[in-house]
Amino acid sequence: MATEEDQRYELFIQRFTGCEQDLRRFIRSLIPTWTDTEEVLQQTAIVIWRKFEHYDPSTKFIKWACVIARFEALAYRRKMARDRLVFREDLFTLMADEGVEELDDHRPDHDALLECLSELPAKLRKFVLLAYTPGVKIKELAEEAGSSSAAYYMRLKRLRRQLMNCVEGKIQNTELLS
Amino acid sequence: MKFSQLDAEEREWLDSYLDGTISADDFDRLQERLLANPDLRKVARSYLSLDHHLHSEANESSDSGTMVSSWGSTSNSTDKKVTPFRLPTLIPLAAAATVAFLLGTIVMYWSGKQDQQPAASSENISPSLQKTGPIAHGFAVIENLFDVQWQSPESSFQQGDILGAEEIQLASGTAEIQFFSGALMTLEGPAQISLKSAWEAICMDGAVRMKVPPAARGFKLHAPSTEIEDLGTEFGLVVRDGHGKVEVFDGEISVRHKGGDGQLITKGVALDLVNDGPVVEIRQGSVTVPDASEFGRRVESEAKAEFERWQKHRDALARDKRLIAYYGFDRGGADILVPNLAVPGNPEFDGAVIMAKPVSGRWPGHKSALEFHRPGSRVRVNIPGEFPAFTFMCWLRIDSLDRQFNALFMGDGYETGEPHWQIREDGQMMLSVMVDDQRPDPRVKDSRGHHRVYFSPSMWDLSMSGQWLHLTSVYDPGNRQVSHFINGENISRQEITDDYFIGNLKIGNAEIGNWGEPFREDPTFAIRNLNGRMDELAIFGEALDAKEITGLYQSSRSTRQ
Repeated sequence: MATEEDQRYELFIQRFTGCEQDLRRFIRSLIPTWTDTEEVLQQTAIVIWRKFEHYDPSTKFIKWACVIARFEALAYRRKMARDRLVFREDLFTLMADEGVEELDDHRPDHDALLECLSELPAKLRKFVLLAYTPGVKIKELAEEAGSSSAAYYMRLKRLRRQLMNCVEGKIQNTELLS
Repeated sequence: MKFSQLDAEEREWLDSYLDGTISADDFDRLQERLLANPDLRKVARSYLSLDHHLHSEANESSDSGTMVSSWGSTSNSTDKKVTPFRLPTLIPLAAAATVAFLLGTIVMYWSGKQDQQPAASSENISPSLQKTGPIAHGFAVIENLFDVQWQSPESSFQQGDILGAEEIQLASGTAEIQFFSGALMTLEGPAQISLKSAWEAICMDGAVRMKVPPAARGFKLHAPSTEIEDLGTEFGLVVRDGHGKVEVFDGEISVRHKGGDGQLITKGVALDLVNDGPVVEIRQGSVTVPDASEFGRRVESEAKAEFERWQKHRDALARDKRLIAYYGFDRGGADILVPNLAVPGNPEFDGAVIMAKPVSGRWPGHKSALEFHRPGSRVRVNIPGEFPAFTFMCWLRIDSLDRQFNALFMGDGYETGEPHWQIREDGQMMLSVMVDDQRPDPRVKDSRGHHRVYFSPSMWDLSMSGQWLHLTSVYDPGNRQVSHFINGENISRQEITDDYFIGNLKIGNAEIGNWGEPFREDPTFAIRNLNGRMDELAIFGEALDAKEITGLYQSSRSTRQ
């Protein structure tokens, strides 16, 4: 017989995993690096679990979770505010407010990206995904390939822009056709 | 607003922000702009979102151990794989093990400039948003290549490629690199050069001749243990096995050896740049570097041989029975007619040139092309008849995509069965055929015309300006598909569904490089001249298959394309 606590934990896991990607994306828009983003997300998960009993199921979980994520990101931002890459607070607030507004809009760009990735030649697709694989350091990849980091970043930048271009084109097509 | 419509510097800042390489000053400027401009914030969030999606895709691929294998060649957004249950945020990421594995394979994946690579970066700025004119990123261009073999096919370049901070790795052959400072580098392989800026490069290996005009004085070339500053001159540097020798052919240079003071050396002096001691003067003429005039002669004789090879290709292709019409554009002067080369000839299908200008084609001095740069430029044709399919194939040099739609071959009235072949401003190829010109078009109020545009992925950006490209699009009702090819390689294939099926295709009055009878008068819609040049166009009344298209590309290309 599952205890009430077990049931609540299960529900938490269910809700949290359901919106984990959206949360990570939201935090990423406020926090400069992936390592920091993961850290804030982890902290957010812990706080969400702690406060889960106060969650009102009649409201959208993701919106509620974003309020917590925003708070955690802000706390983190203050802690590392001397780092030159952290958004200043007024900009942080704008990005967070507008980001919450756009929460529902991003499915199409994810789907479009999958299409665009599949249209890339296999070699380039591997190149991009490898550069994004967690724990992989561009500097090491570049050294391994006998190239400079600058040349490597240049290549990555070109591909990322190409993908962005493709994603925007597909979204525009969808809008035109629908 | 789209990413490609941002200022060049805004795009640079966003990229370097994502990569964590942005400078403090640039970051401040980026923040100022973001604060002031909600559109920029929105685009920035979209770009960060792309970054996030890439991150999560890469994460999934590496977690599941099926790096990219789940990607089919044709994609369908609905069959996206289901994310397996996991809670990575609550468990520290244990990626170290995969990193070791991936590093072992990176050499294979590390790719330089792809010769087929469509749209390496996207600089196509919408004309209405251009403030300072388009900027192609980079600071040098491949001016010429002769008999070049690259170290690896993935890091190869073409003539006309814009270069940024990149490594040039030549296995053999000669390359000419023009820096935007004005300095000209002629490089003979095997060679390895790292480009730093329009004013600086490093030679790790190879034989280099530098020609530095007064405007580029101060250009720096680094050899192992030595920095050479050019004071307006011509000099040669050879580096083999990490050991350099330099000789001045004209003017003077300053040589700083092992961090010491600059030493001026002048015409006729040659130095051995000894790695573990002071420089030693050596005999004049000991440094052998590529000879610029000899290089020019070789390039010219290669062009002539290739042009002759192309003439054979042309004569063979002209006899293909599936051709509707074939234009070579290789008559210059005051000729106002573009003859149809298809055999047996039908002079009725000759094209009339209006405003389009004869210019150099793919082999300057041998072959000409037509340029459609001025807004009224066009070639008019009239081709009666009905056809079961279309294959459009051309050699094209795009200077820039100035229009929202840039015409390649356009049926005048776009009536039922007539084709429109064009390129959108973001570099996507478009092919469509009017399916029913009487049926209302639900997308545009009070408009008629039932048709569908088949887009390719973006295949062009401003960094490719001036490069010759072989483009093919096939409208194939028999196999119910539309496909696009660039340089003989298929880049997209889409199905013709029942609702958009049409089997009887026509041309009638049509135009090359422009659109004769636009429905609407607003300039962004109506003006479609192509800012570029075409030096060959073949129109077939049947669908050519991928193998044939690749073959025709191969037999008509120059080794530089």
